[in-house]
Order: sequence, then C-alpha cells, then structure tokens
Amino acid sequence: MAEFATTTSTQGLGPNLPQQMGRRLWKPMLALALMAFPIGFVLAVVRASAIADQAEATRVAGLQHVGTAVMWLGFMAVFSAISFAIAKILSEFRTGGGAVQEATGSRVKTLKMPATARVFIVSMMMGMMIILVSVVVHLVVGAGLLGGDAAALDGLEAGLIRLEAWRRLGVAFYLFGITFGLGTIIHVLRFQTIRIRELPDLA
Amino acid sequence: MVTVADNLVKPKAGADYREASRHRPLGFAIAALGVLLAFIAFFGNLAAASTAEPAGTLAWTFGLTTLAFGTIKVGIATVLIGILVRLWLRVEGVEESLPSLRGAAPGGGSAPEGYGAVATSHSVPRPLPIHRIARTMWGPMLAMGVMFVGAGFLASLSWASDGGTAAAAWTQGLQFLGEGLILAGISFLLGSILASLREGGGRVQQSLDLPVYTLEMPGTAKTFVVLMMAGLMISISQFVIYVWAATQAADVVAVSFAWLGPFRELGLGLLLAGIVLALASIAKALGFQYERIRQICTTGS
Repeated sequence: MAEFATTTSTQGLGPNLPQQMGRRLWKPMLALALMAFPIGFVLAVVRASAIADQAEATRVAGLQHVGTAVMWLGFMAVFSAISFAIAKILSEFRTGGGAVQEATGSRVKTLKMPATARVFIVSMMMGMMIILVSVVVHLVVGAGLLGGDAAALDGLEAGLIRLEAWRRLGVAFYLFGITFGLGTIIHVLRFQTIRIRELPDLA
Repeated sequence: MVTVADNLVKPKAGADYREASRHRPLGFAIAALGVLLAFIAFFGNLAAASTAEPAGTLAWTFGLTTLAFGTIKVGIATVLIGILVRLWLRVEGVEESLPSLRGAAPGGGSAPEGYGAVATSHSVPRPLPIHRIARTMWGPMLAMGVMFVGAGFLASLSWASDGGTAAAAWTQGLQFLGEGLILAGISFLLGSILASLREGGGRVQQSLDLPVYTLEMPGTAKTFVVLMMAGLMISISQFVIYVWAATQAADVVAVSFAWLGPFRELGLGLLLAGIVLALASIAKALGFQYERIRQICTTGS
C-alpha cells in the first residue's frame, strides 16, 4: 500500500474537478458529435456534386474547408466525449470505493490523482486545442471562399496539407491521452483490490 | 483462437493481486511508438507543404499516420485487456472479504434504486448473446484490423512511388477498413468488460447466498451495439466502393473520392460514438455494483 499516494478521511470524498466535468460533459459532447458527422458527410456529397457539375473553384474549395471543419468538430467532440466518459468511470471508482469503506466503519483511503491521470488530461487538452484551432481556420478560409474570395485560392493546397498535418497530430494526442486514462483505471483497480482485502482486519 | 483470447483476459492461476499490471506499461509503450510514428508523418507533411510536388510524400505520410493511429489503438486494446484481468482479481478480492464485512443493520432486501431496471435471480445470470459475441470476436477483429492497416501502409508506399489512382484507392480502403475493425475489436473488449462486471457481480452475490441483483441492459448499451454495427457496415462498404473506384475513369474517381473520405470518417465517427456509450454503460454498472456492495456491508442482504 505504501506505493500508493492516498488521502485519508472519515467520509468518502466526492468526485474531483476533472471527474465532475466528465460527468457533466460527456453527453453534450456526444450529442455534438452525432450532429456533426452526418452534416459533414452531407456537405461532402454537396461538394462531390459541385465537382461533377464543374462548379466554380472557389465554391468547391470552400465546401471542402467547411465540410472538413464540421467533420473534425465531430471528431473533437467524440474524442472529448470518450475522455469525459473515462473520467466518469474514474469518478465512480472514487465515490463508490469511498462509500464502501465508509459503510464498513473504517477510515476512507482515497487515491491521490496519479501521474498517468495528469498525462491523460494534458494530452486530451493538447489534442482538443490543436483540432479546435484547425477547425476555426478551416471555417474562416471556407467562409471567405464561399463568399467569392478568389485570392484565398493562392496557396490553398499547401494550407490544406499543413492543416491536415496538425489535425492528425491532434488525434494522436487524444488517443495517447485515452490510453493513459484507461491505464489509470488499472492503477485504481489494483489499489481498490488491495484495500478491500485489508478491510476485514480493520473492521 | 477463441481459447487463447479467452485466457488472455483472465488472471493466471495463483496470480498475485498485489503485483503491478504488465499490460499497463506494455500498452503505454505501444501507444508511445504510435505517437512517434505520428510525429514522423507530421514532419513529413509539413515538409511536403513546402515543395512543388508533394504528392509522393503525402502518399506515404497518409499511410504512416493511419498506421500510427492503428498502433496507438492497439496500445488502448492492450490496456483494456489489462483492465479485464484486474476486474477478475477484484472479484476474487470482494468475494473473499465481503463475508467478514457483512453488516446487520435493519433494512435491505431490495435492489439498489436509481440505476434503471434490475433483474433478480438465485444464481449468476447467463451471459447475454452480445456478451458471448464480444468475448469471441474481440481477438479476430483486432488481428484482422492490424493486418488491413499494415497492408494499407504497404499500398501507400506503392502509391508514393507510382502515384497511381488504384494504389491510392487500395491504401485508403484497406487502412480505413482496418481502423474500423480495430475500433470494433476495442468495442468488443468494452463489451467483454460489461460481461465480466455482470458475471462477477453475480458471482459475489451468489457466494453470499443472497438474491442476485443484475442491472438489465441499459439503453446506452443497446445504442452502443447499434452504432457499432452501423459504423462497421460503413467501414466495410467504403472498402468495397474504393476497390470499385480503383477501376473507374479519372472523372468518376475525382467525384467518388470527394465523398468517400467523409463517408469513411462517418463510419469511424459512429464506432467512436458507440465506444462513448459503452464507457458510459460501464460507469453505470460500476455505480450499481458499489451501491450493492455498500448495501451488503450495511444491511447484510
């Protein structure tokens, strides 16, 4: 047990701030994702139709930017929803573990936030920021192109390549964070398994 | 194959519950390798943006990025396997400790409230069909996914060298089918976790000779299955359409590629949305279990 950093209290602790956010935000983020994916796909079909009709280059490029922005808003939302749902699971372990210890009449030991949970939060925030910035840039450029700004066509391909590079890096950060969030669950399970085996001797 | 996969998600006989998990550092290392690959592709992309002829570089960076994502997802799957192993060690711990912790306060005798419909039985409930499928399919799905993503990466090297439309279509079709299968494998692992929570909770209650309360399949779990199936269907469909597009004239290819990219992303998006709901279902099942354990510790029944 010495290898676990814990807080001891007489009552079970409630969820910490990231866990409270997780409990509140996983549903809105999932709803946003489920709206964005079909809209992004419809915009792609509209663009494909514009290509087939040999529409103006600004319209085709504008639709590409806006469609990509909407689709990636969906990815940002769904990866955030996954991260928040993991935080909700960690919150159940924290509050449930505390409630069980309290019910046995022993002092409540709660794990302090482990380093893996911090990596989880930082990676998720980096992924979110990177994708959000690229979505905003796509929307601004796309709106300009759809408004007929032909000058925005200059350097369009290079811009798209750079934005795509950043978006993909954002996904890598999100996935890396999710791995660490799930790894934190293993840490918590091990702590709780050791703790519940201690309780009969303390009761 | 099924037996091997089944053994992987259970602790070995005589496993020490105090020992640190091996799956956790392994999963982290695999994920870190994936991030390294993603960074190589990232810098390759930035370099391509500054050149007059970026097509060749973009082809292999596309393949490498998708390979990187697949690698990190394999890391996630490894950690999920570790969670499954730990869940069984937790069940053993609760089973051994709970008889000494049973309370005698008045009350009890009813299922925990506030978690939705609860089934009552005298023994461990039989696994649901989806749980049996999940336990059987997670391994094959992951294995096939890794193979398709790897084959797609090799196709991307061919795309980078000859620049042909066919290689481009095969790369994208193969890799996103692989990504879809890996996500389906992860979804089935999450389904296996739900199955373990159900079986383990039942085992603990039965060992105390108590009525076995089991959470009925919540709406989030049902929607998870629907989204996963829809996402997987789209992932398979996009592969078939890419293979078809590889044989078409340039103008048809241009139009097809314009909507196929977002179509395959829609498939992955639905799979990921299903994963959110699976995680939410796990959180709900855990909340129910802790309340049941607390109830037993307080009232003894």
